[in-house]
Amino acid sequence: MLENLTKTEQNTLDQIKTVIDPEVAINIVDLGLIYEVHHQEEEKKIQVIMTLSARGCPVGDTIINHVKTVVENEYAEYEVQVDLVWEPQWTPAMITDEGKAALNQ
Amino acid sequence: MNSGLSTKNAPSPGVVLPYYIYSAFSLVLAAIMMLVSGEGILASFIGPNLLSTTHMLVLGWVSMVIFGALYQLIPVVMEVKINSEKLAHFSFWTLGIGNILLSFSFWQTYTAPKWMTIIGGILILLSIIAFVINFIATARTTEVKSTQNNFIITSVFWLSLTVILGLFMLLNNKYFFFPISPVELLKTHAALGLIGWFLMLVMGVASILLPMFFIVHNLKTIYIKISYALTNLGLAALVISLLIQLPSWTIDLSGILILLGVASFVRYNYDAYKNRLRKKLDIGMKLTVLSFLLLAASFISGLLAFIAPDFLSEQVIPLSLAFGINLIIGFFTSLILGQMYKTLPFIVWLAKYQDKVGKFKTPLPADLYSEKVANGHYYSFLVAIILLNITLFIDCKLAFYGGVAALIVTGCLYTLNTMKIVLHKENLKPLK
Repeated sequence: MLENLTKTEQNTLDQIKTVIDPEVAINIVDLGLIYEVHHQEEEKKIQVIMTLSARGCPVGDTIINHVKTVVENEYAEYEVQVDLVWEPQWTPAMITDEGKAALNQ
Repeated sequence: MNSGLSTKNAPSPGVVLPYYIYSAFSLVLAAIMMLVSGEGILASFIGPNLLSTTHMLVLGWVSMVIFGALYQLIPVVMEVKINSEKLAHFSFWTLGIGNILLSFSFWQTYTAPKWMTIIGGILILLSIIAFVINFIATARTTEVKSTQNNFIITSVFWLSLTVILGLFMLLNNKYFFFPISPVELLKTHAALGLIGWFLMLVMGVASILLPMFFIVHNLKTIYIKISYALTNLGLAALVISLLIQLPSWTIDLSGILILLGVASFVRYNYDAYKNRLRKKLDIGMKLTVLSFLLLAASFISGLLAFIAPDFLSEQVIPLSLAFGINLIIGFFTSLILGQMYKTLPFIVWLAKYQDKVGKFKTPLPADLYSEKVANGHYYSFLVAIILLNITLFIDCKLAFYGGVAALIVTGCLYTLNTMKIVLHKENLKPLK
């Protein structure tokens, strides 16, 4: 879960915040799509575990590529792995307060 | 791990875009046909101009965009790739040419079908056959089992019957195979097309997409299941009653079943609307909400025409026309106007930018069209539908021509935005 993040993990999350969901026009971190971020310095690896709001989401792999690209832009020397999971299933309750406010602006 | 994603399953834009373009121009053309016909077009159930305009609307405008959208949405709903893009192209050309031939020949005469009418009908039948084959071959590979899927599959079944019966009517009018009333056949053809094909499909697709767009989860799916059962049961009973001339109470009962089915569908979507997290509606969803109000208006008109209480006995024809106008020009048109903004910009955006995101600053799908133009046709459409409804009940030329003019404006603005999206040029800016 997105707690007790190291500096690199937090910075990775900040980069992912630049990824905007094309349908709802808010960033995917506030949308609650990012479940975990792991930084393994010894293996020079960054792993992102995320979901999508719906299984058939037509822009799904574009969002995943976008996440991979923005993290690679920041950490070019690292291997970046983005894993898509369906459990736990995303629900609107996962949207942050900032996300909820942005949805109705 | 990334299985089930429909970007990989999405068809190439060249398959889908022609359907959207043809459909947009058909709306403009249908509105111009109404203008040329004059207010006499609304004087009766049937007539060459009404028949021709209706086919331009239901084939050129509604069916065309539904086919295009389905090629894009089936991968979303069923999580599989469309079986054959070649068949999808074939289906486009046959429907496109067939629609022009049929509408043109109906415009001249409809009581004595000419070869052009029959060739048009056959081309449309070929288009539907190609679509149905493609659809079945695609649906066979899906592992998704849901009521929404059943809606879509059943709607394609009813579509096949609609076209077969339509062509049979044309041939029977020419060769008189069976002694059956053309009016009953026409009613059955219209019921199959409007309720079985359009409404069934819209109910299936909308009950997937609307909760997605409203951002709401865990809705009571029992309403959708009830809706599926009642609407199909009612339609099957209606078709049998009309074709073998059962007593009129069976038609009344069928109508009530269909009405309850639609009410259950509206209830499901009302829950989605009420519990939505996304309170502020974009233009696509504003038009969609409006379409549901017009669906309600259509069914209330239909119900009143059906029951025809004494004080409304002289209003049966205008009420029946109000049912048709609020359904085809009201509900379907408003829904298409709105849902275009939820589909077409994404199709073009994905084609242009899916490999560029993160490397450049890219626009969002909503930046591909003009919000002002979209708002313009939202209001012109409202004016059109209100004035056309007024025309039905009071003899007012000004209301008719005002309504049709507003519909032409709607079609032109919508086509403008459609073309703006389709012709969008890549717009990349450096990240920093």
